[in-house]
Amino acid sequence: MGLSKNNTDKLKVGRRQVLSTTAAAGVISLFNIKHAAFAADVVNIGALYPTTGSLAQTGQGCVNATKLAIQMINDAGGIKSLGGAKLNLILSDNQSDTTVTRTETDRLISNNKLSAIHGCYASALTLIASEVAERARMPLLTGSSSDQLNAGTRHYTFTPFARASQFAEAQLKMARLVSDKPKVAVVFENTAFGTATSNGLREKAPGLGVEIVLFEPYSAGFADASPLINKIKASGADMVFPVSYLNDLILIIRSIKQAGLKVVINGGSGGFVLPDFQKSVGDLAEGLLGVAHWNHDMSPATLEVNAAYKKQYGDFIFEYSGGIVAQTFMIAAALEKAGSADPKKVHEALTQLEFTEGYAAMCPGGRVKFGPDGKNLYAYPVGVQWQKGDLVSVFPEKDAHASLIKS
Amino acid sequence: MLVTVAQALINGLLIGGIYALVSIGVTLIFGVVKVVNFAQGEIVMAGMYTSYFCATLLGIDPLVSLLISMPALFIVGVCLQHFLIRRVLKLGDMPQIFLTFALSLLLTNVALLLFKADYRTIQTSYSDTAIHIGPVYIAVAKLIAFGVAMLLSALLWVFLRTTDLGKAMRASAQNPEVSMLMGINPDLVFAVAVGLALALAGAAGSLLMPFYPAYPMVGQVFILMAFVAVVLGTLGNVTGALIASLMMGVAESLGIQFVGADSGLIVVFVMFLVTLIIRPNGLFGGKRR
Repeated sequence: MGLSKNNTDKLKVGRRQVLSTTAAAGVISLFNIKHAAFAADVVNIGALYPTTGSLAQTGQGCVNATKLAIQMINDAGGIKSLGGAKLNLILSDNQSDTTVTRTETDRLISNNKLSAIHGCYASALTLIASEVAERARMPLLTGSSSDQLNAGTRHYTFTPFARASQFAEAQLKMARLVSDKPKVAVVFENTAFGTATSNGLREKAPGLGVEIVLFEPYSAGFADASPLINKIKASGADMVFPVSYLNDLILIIRSIKQAGLKVVINGGSGGFVLPDFQKSVGDLAEGLLGVAHWNHDMSPATLEVNAAYKKQYGDFIFEYSGGIVAQTFMIAAALEKAGSADPKKVHEALTQLEFTEGYAAMCPGGRVKFGPDGKNLYAYPVGVQWQKGDLVSVFPEKDAHASLIKS
Repeated sequence: MLVTVAQALINGLLIGGIYALVSIGVTLIFGVVKVVNFAQGEIVMAGMYTSYFCATLLGIDPLVSLLISMPALFIVGVCLQHFLIRRVLKLGDMPQIFLTFALSLLLTNVALLLFKADYRTIQTSYSDTAIHIGPVYIAVAKLIAFGVAMLLSALLWVFLRTTDLGKAMRASAQNPEVSMLMGINPDLVFAVAVGLALALAGAAGSLLMPFYPAYPMVGQVFILMAFVAVVLGTLGNVTGALIASLMMGVAESLGIQFVGADSGLIVVFVMFLVTLIIRPNGLFGGKRR
């Protein structure tokens, strides 16, 4: 008997609960609709990164950095000029694909009330997203390095970091640090990326006192790098600039070691500055040089961000991800100045602001001011070197965190 | 100059040994079962991952895990023949091509799903060391791979020449109908042939692992060379495939040295085309096996 009464009681409570919950839900949803219409307490930021497809792994790192930056800003009290409004991240996966990037950028901008967006890691993807953002008059910040992002009639694309054309120059200047008369072998895969990068190196080499003794395109995805290394050996080069993706780069570096060839290697940017590169070649990474538009040891602020990232995700925060944190703080500062979530006002603030301190100024030189083409007037890359499993800044001298080891 | 040429020859021969293991497998299946296995490169990939996980999870040296990858892939080969290839043998060329090509796509994408597109490498004590003889050097890992490849090829040759099963295999290759009349069981012979072919590809994978990164698309790097070697060395001719592979490795290496690093394959293909013009059946046409 007692048991059955108990059950009835439970049932009654259940009904009451159902009723009250429904009512509460109704009130809350009304409240929400009202709030969404005014959008007073959150500011939406769009982020476009490849979290599936061939670039998925790096893209996930970008998303991780974005989340970290948003969390940092919100924990510090959000956007004060907007009554402490919190940033709300709206993620979109462009699947490492140019066509998807076009539709996803479009969808992201038209389905959400955004204040600014950032993306997309690979320059080829960012160029597409930038086109869509320009048409929608939506500010887009990016760490992608293609000089094309500053060309033409783009007004809403902002590039806070060094351009591709500046990377070649840094690489050549670093060569002069290692040797007075460097003899460089440029070996590059015969693709658009390889040809463009290596031509940049060839154009600037004579002016910077660097002799190129071998300028050799190779077919990407070879079975064996040793014939190429044999060629480098025969050329008498004391320095090698491989312009390669990870697979070929691993083979080239291993084959150089096998051949017992004593050359300095500068692997440039891209895959070379990722933690995965070090994991793939292990100790062979030691002493190798590269260039980056951002590095985790540049300033106290970057070290702080790196520590937070490392704690959450395990690896050090790599070039592109670090840049994303700075970009997100630039957007927050623009919102603060604009006192509005309107993308046009955010755009205006971005063109006026100059960042010289805090997380927004985390870039080589610590100074960001956008010119009329969206390019940071003060941007330049840093030279980096793998030392004891970590990537440290070694060039230029004022940004160096450790001295360049001439091996 | 002489040193450069000598080094180019050594480099070419060493990588030619790896090409040989892949191409011998293809030619063996083609010669005996009369099916072109487009998935042979993906079997190499499977061999690489087998050795990779043996090394990282169990701490087994890739050269020792040869003893795991080869029998495992032999069994896979026997099953492949018994459950799949056998069923399309009477259906003509197209279903056979679709079958092995589909298998290639399937294996690549399953690997992508399971292992992602990461490049996985293992460091062994001999991975990056070399024997220096005067001014030239021989990479140890590649030398071991070459030596084992030659040994396995020789064992296969002896097997085909001296054992009953080997002789039955050659008989089936020459004339399937008559060999059946002589009491040879084609199902058994075919299954063993495919099993051996896959075991050789698996061996290639294990031997590559100390110096080559594993990734899902890695099979594509080796399969093109293997197919050229198979035709160059006359379809179905095991010795021919071996010699052709070594020739191609050397031609590629010399091509990179003296023509251009993006032209290594041009030299290989010119050699291939000239051979076909002079000897349409390949280098060893006319005296198969």
